[in-house]
Amino acid sequence: MNFVVRRFSFYFIAIMVAITFNFVIPRLMPGDPVDALFAAAQGRMPLETLQAYKEMLGFVDGPMWVQYLKYIKSIFTWDLGPTIMLYPLPVTELLAVKVPWTIGLAGMSTVISVMIGLLIGTYASYNRGGFTDRFMPGFWAFVGAMPQPVTALFIFFILALTWKWFPLSYGANPDLEPGWTWDYITSVLHHAVLPIICMILGGIGSWIFNMRNAMINVLGEDYITMAKAKGLSNRRIMTHYAARNALLPVVTAVSMQVGFVMAGAIFIETVFNYPGVGLLLFKALGARDYPTMQACFLLIVVFVLVFNFIADLLYLWLDPRLRN
Amino acid sequence: MRFKGMFSHPFIKFLGRFYRGNTAAILGSVIIATVIFMSACASVIADNEPNKRVARGHQPPSAELLLGSTRSGKDVFSQVLHGGQISLLVAFSASAITTLIAVAVGISAGYFGGRIDEFLMSLTNVVLVFPQLPLLIILAAFLGQVGPLVIALIIGLSSWAWGARVIRSQTMAIRNKEFILAAEVMGESKWRIIFVEILPNLISIVVGGAMGTCIYALMAEAGLEFLGLGDPTIVTWGTMLFWAQSNSAFVVGAWWDMVVPGAAIAIFGGGLALLNMSIDQISNPKLKTGGYIKTWRRMKVEVEAKRAAL
Amino acid sequence: MSQPLLSIKNLCVDYITDEGNARAVNKVSLDIFPGETVGLAGESGCGKSTLAFAIANLHSAPALITDGEIVFAGQDVLRMSEKELRSFRWAKASMVFQSAMNALNPVITIGEQLTDVVLAHEDVSLKQASKRAEENLELVGIHPSRMNSYPHQLSGGMRQRVVIAIALILRPKLIIMDEPTTALDVVVEREIMDQLYELKEEFGFAILFISHDLGLMGEITDRIGVMYAGKLVELGKSNDLMNKPVHPYTKGLLNSFPTIFGPKVRLEGIPGNPLNLLETPAGCYFQARCQQCDTNCAESSPAIRYFASPHDRSVACHNITMGDL
Repeated sequence: MNFVVRRFSFYFIAIMVAITFNFVIPRLMPGDPVDALFAAAQGRMPLETLQAYKEMLGFVDGPMWVQYLKYIKSIFTWDLGPTIMLYPLPVTELLAVKVPWTIGLAGMSTVISVMIGLLIGTYASYNRGGFTDRFMPGFWAFVGAMPQPVTALFIFFILALTWKWFPLSYGANPDLEPGWTWDYITSVLHHAVLPIICMILGGIGSWIFNMRNAMINVLGEDYITMAKAKGLSNRRIMTHYAARNALLPVVTAVSMQVGFVMAGAIFIETVFNYPGVGLLLFKALGARDYPTMQACFLLIVVFVLVFNFIADLLYLWLDPRLRN
Repeated sequence: MRFKGMFSHPFIKFLGRFYRGNTAAILGSVIIATVIFMSACASVIADNEPNKRVARGHQPPSAELLLGSTRSGKDVFSQVLHGGQISLLVAFSASAITTLIAVAVGISAGYFGGRIDEFLMSLTNVVLVFPQLPLLIILAAFLGQVGPLVIALIIGLSSWAWGARVIRSQTMAIRNKEFILAAEVMGESKWRIIFVEILPNLISIVVGGAMGTCIYALMAEAGLEFLGLGDPTIVTWGTMLFWAQSNSAFVVGAWWDMVVPGAAIAIFGGGLALLNMSIDQISNPKLKTGGYIKTWRRMKVEVEAKRAAL
Repeated sequence: MSQPLLSIKNLCVDYITDEGNARAVNKVSLDIFPGETVGLAGESGCGKSTLAFAIANLHSAPALITDGEIVFAGQDVLRMSEKELRSFRWAKASMVFQSAMNALNPVITIGEQLTDVVLAHEDVSLKQASKRAEENLELVGIHPSRMNSYPHQLSGGMRQRVVIAIALILRPKLIIMDEPTTALDVVVEREIMDQLYELKEEFGFAILFISHDLGLMGEITDRIGVMYAGKLVELGKSNDLMNKPVHPYTKGLLNSFPTIFGPKVRLEGIPGNPLNLLETPAGCYFQARCQQCDTNCAESSPAIRYFASPHDRSVACHNITMGDL
């Protein structure tokens, strides 16, 4: 329990840092941040609303710490103000629509990456010197070094543009009514295939690599020899003795990579015009819509922290040595 | 002859052992060396200026234009070579900054322990858990269009956390070894202990970390510029991608515009990754593969056949 | 003389490396009779553990058993199929490892580590297996409530007892103990050794006791074998061998141990360094460190010779004759 409390307070601090960061950055920009907002709005915003905006973001008169507190308050009351590019739509509403798409993408690709990656990694470690062992880590190191936008574009070019197996963009067929209908769901899945493949390609290398290395280290331990000496079945040794122990460093290593996965999502959503948070960030970037950008940033940070927390809990479950 | 004597120098011997039979290392080193060399000699190798319009837009690769032309008719071959200079420079400098910070933080936390350790570690953990690309995007967005120097700086200043952690745990492992305790008892100054006793033992993870950061920095730079955050007037691999994307290169069929810079990044990154893997295998020889295992398998088969025949 | 329980004949175990094959066990022959305790002594790296692991055919790359037979109760272990090997392991011959902390799986309970071996070998229910596990824990002096503890929650001595309990649970005929008390302090060591005596009295298993601590071995063993650089250089009854060692290496070993009794004697070590198994000399492996070495020793490697009288002794040395015994 102590462990959980410590981790949770750590994440809380991290979120506060992110919020503070959001607060500080606009004020570091050259010139008056409010004027910049106004300029960015390009005349779409009436003056009163600009004033309201300023207040909401904490750009009010008063000492810095008052502004800071007001800003924090607005964050925790979900009041992130209106977007600039789709004025007067509130940022939170816009985000709410986009979030499920990104979560779906990241979630599905992670699950598939994990399953395939762990299997391949285990297999490679078991058959030392075999084809998988010699070839896989090097191959995936290479693939992993390809910049994600490029891989995404490559797949886009071949599978969507040239061979026309998969659609070019959007989360689902724009002509369909969103809902829990069979048509819509299949359309969603159909549109999700390429982005998911791209995300898997970006992430699977590290699962394979880490699992293989962790397994090799574990297989050299004495308790594995003892398990063999006990005459236990290979299956039991591989699962209860080897994999259970190898998973620990793998979970740690990969939970560090979540941020990287999110970054990948940004590029992939951009290339495939996939309606998630990443694409929103990109569009906001183009429109200099600072409030939306900041909100996206905050959301991504929260997402990463939640995932890390889940990984911590998973680690707690896997390693009895932490449970005191 | 001094030249001959060079070959028995311990470092050369070490390199010899490192490379022998190690395909990944050889391949990686060759790739890296070639790319660096070609970029460095860009002005000599490429006939055209990277920013000069020399042909019609989107010409496919030909004898004159080895890698075709961009939308604005500029020579892709020349661009990729000149651009490489800047992209590589950014990657190396970001990596250098990151490594310096990571080493400083990691060794201090690991060696001094106590309060310093707690403080540095809290700092590191917070930086570590932040998703870096979104952070970079926000920073770059607020700073307006940033040149490669600034990009190198912001990448360098935000990526040190992972390396710091790894170095810290290694330092802590070494710190408790007896030769350090002996040095302290003998009265060696702390600086001397750090630089002379501890640091040499960390070389392989520091180098490995520097390489990893280099790959990451290269991709981060390309990513940021791809999203439009870099200075599009400066030719780098990332801005080449940006222009190609803006001009829908793929869609109109001018694949070389996009593939060439992408391939450049991939090839260089891949070479670094291969080299990195081989260095990994030095610090942990269990991870090596091939070699003796093949002999072992062969002998096992022979022995079992002999035994069955008896 | 009854039939030996375990008969190792001309065993050779090599380590395959990029720099050549290192022969860690070199044509070793050794018999262990039912109920007897045989000690195996020698310095680090002499091949004792390698020999131990070979008995249950536990070696994997880069080690390889290249020659010899290991006959246990009439069956050659090296010719067993996977299935036969798995049912042989632990049920007929079990092992106690050097470091219990490393030998126990850190993420599952000790109860599970006791029951899983029972379930793997016998067709019983989990409940019955758990009952067996608890009985065995009591045998080694651990309260059954610790069944649900994890290895890190136990002290070093308790962990070693758990490992012994696991070794006993299938009532094997032979227990191989690889330096079982090296990692423990002397007080705990004494407790463990006393426990071992009792268990041996009760169950009558044979023990192959591997250690570099000759003093400890003198207590518990019936016979002692001494290994050097993979070869068995001397083998004989314990008391005998310790009072009157014959091989130069054994003499050197015993001279290195201080004794509490008697007048103060200057300790002599054995000069030189252990042999590099990748660069073995022609002739006797011990020649570089032996004071009785002559040209014959440098040219041919001495085979081990058995002297039935006055007391059973085997020695591998050119310069030993009946008269020295």
